[in-house]
Amino acid sequence: MSGLLQEIKLFGDNIPWLEALREKGKEAFMTQGLPTAKTEAWKYTRPRDLQTDDFVMYENEDTEECNHCSCEEEEKKDACHHREIKNIPIEGYEINFYNGKLQHNHSELPKGVFIQSLPEAIIYNDEIKHYLGKIVDINNYPFAALNTAYIEEGVFIHIDKGIKLDKPIILINHTHSCHENLYYNIRNVIVAEKDSSLEFLEVYKYSGIEKSRYFANIVNEIYIGRNAKIKHYKLQEEAFKAVHIALSQVKVKEGGEYKSFCMQKGANLARNETKVQLTEEKAKAEVNAAYLMNGWATIDTTTDIEHLSPETCSNQLVKGIVGGDAKGVFQGKIHIAPDAVKTEGHQLHKALLLSDRAEIDCKPELEIYADDVKCSHGAASGELDAEQLFYMRSRGIDEDTAKQILIEAYLEDLFSQIDNEQIREWLRVSK
Amino acid sequence: MSKTPLLEIEDLCAKVADKEIIKGFNLTINEGEIHALMGPNGAGKSTLSYVLSGKQGYEVTSGKVLFKGKNLLKMSTEERAREGLFLIMQYPVEIPGVPVTTFLKHSVNAVRKHQNLPELDTMDFIKMVREEGKKLGISNDMLKRPINVGFSGGEKKRLETLQLSILKPTFAILDEADSGLDIDALKVVADGVNAEHNEHNAMLVITHYQRLLNYIVPDYVHVFADGHIVQSGGKELALELEKTGYAQFVKEK
Repeated sequence: MSGLLQEIKLFGDNIPWLEALREKGKEAFMTQGLPTAKTEAWKYTRPRDLQTDDFVMYENEDTEECNHCSCEEEEKKDACHHREIKNIPIEGYEINFYNGKLQHNHSELPKGVFIQSLPEAIIYNDEIKHYLGKIVDINNYPFAALNTAYIEEGVFIHIDKGIKLDKPIILINHTHSCHENLYYNIRNVIVAEKDSSLEFLEVYKYSGIEKSRYFANIVNEIYIGRNAKIKHYKLQEEAFKAVHIALSQVKVKEGGEYKSFCMQKGANLARNETKVQLTEEKAKAEVNAAYLMNGWATIDTTTDIEHLSPETCSNQLVKGIVGGDAKGVFQGKIHIAPDAVKTEGHQLHKALLLSDRAEIDCKPELEIYADDVKCSHGAASGELDAEQLFYMRSRGIDEDTAKQILIEAYLEDLFSQIDNEQIREWLRVSK
Repeated sequence: MSKTPLLEIEDLCAKVADKEIIKGFNLTINEGEIHALMGPNGAGKSTLSYVLSGKQGYEVTSGKVLFKGKNLLKMSTEERAREGLFLIMQYPVEIPGVPVTTFLKHSVNAVRKHQNLPELDTMDFIKMVREEGKKLGISNDMLKRPINVGFSGGEKKRLETLQLSILKPTFAILDEADSGLDIDALKVVADGVNAEHNEHNAMLVITHYQRLLNYIVPDYVHVFADGHIVQSGGKELALELEKTGYAQFVKEK
């Protein structure tokens, strides 16, 4: 029995459908347990950090104020006093989480858009029942099962048909090192109705002590209606001993479009998994990612794109930069169902190794059951070009700066695909 | 008039991948001088330019090099550049994803910082680069493109010359600056280089052919064969070589 299943009081334990859903999650997690060396989907990324049984989930009131923690050590006290993180220089509708708990909702939203906390939605909004837990396959995603067992924190974002949101919705989760071995689940549900469009930026940061250890388990369920469009950006910049595991499960209807870019550069163990189902004709997905890492970290980018209808289209571009003793993992699957004719699925993974000890594991998988499709995949890894470095240094640029310039150039084709200028520039300097 | 030595090379020996290429090379270049180094293919001309700019893989086994009286060989590649050493490369590398201006700004400010000059802000920098670029026929569009990507041979050398004109080095090495250039491009590059030359700086023009020396006129010409200088003279030596070729020097070994 994993230490990750803990007895805590959750909101709404008197709501039968919610309790039933949580119970299913718990059972599914118990059946699967933590992935082991034999679990194919996790063969390169072993969640050893989670086997220690010392992660603790806190009930709501415990983490509201920093004063609850025992700030005895000077270092910690100091960190506590600097709990504010700098504002993100992007105009948008902000949702703030602190240690995995929703703090406050953004203020005014345009007509046709609402953001509710998950408990709020569960109590007042029957619609949530159609979405919550409906597309996540808990029997094959142990961490999604675990997340389901503890559904409580998170938001429900809904945008009405035809509404095009002017500014991005920005979800910032800020983990602070007050609590040792903190562990939390966040569950978000995002629904874009027909012809609507929405930009969603997720940011995971920490403050306080750099080496604080915690476990964040995130699940997003994303529904994209006919001809609707969601652009999903994410920056994962957790503390360097943290564990961050996230799944975005996306369903795209006819002519709809899901476009994502996830940049991961923090945590000791991180996995960002994106599963997209293109369920109707002409649905599109673009799943891009970058990972930049050092030290002993393992950062995993896993994708699974299911083409279930004709003329669906997907593109994936994933680039990594790995130094130190770090390990980058990319697993990318394209599945084309028998009916999905005239479909296109492309995937490219490239990585730069900055040290001899750095490692890249790449597993592309193409499952094609239809004729008349266009599919491709490619993978390449290499080092920084010595001639390019020499050229820049011979012009007075120091080696570190030269490397930074080359790394930025390496990622340029990813950044240039980000349409929102503020997000693009911010991510560019965050790299 | 007593001359101040800028670059003093004494008994320099260097190897690449365990092969001795530079063998007892001696040369002193004073302020205000232009020296030409001519020699057959494989003499070690490019190796010398890489050794002087401190490229990895080029190992100095003995000898010394003073630049403005300082030990050049102890400096990193970037320190040499900041001290005022500049190499116009024979085949400048392409760097996809890095716009020319971004690169130049880093470069100029690194050098300025070293010289205790204030860094240029973006506006001043762009203005300066555009003005200098114009003189060399470099369009604003070219400045926005990634370094050397898709540039013709002439454009690449113009960009090298632009860097020379904005970094204002005290000592420039032109490694086969004329290769890949038609006569018009050659003139533009030579004019750009000549415009930068003054009594306080110096140049080493490495070339296989005499052609370039019609445009950049040297004070001294040296024949370089088998890793060292085998003959030195005035600019007329270049013309002589044009007639006789290098065979006489190659035979010597």
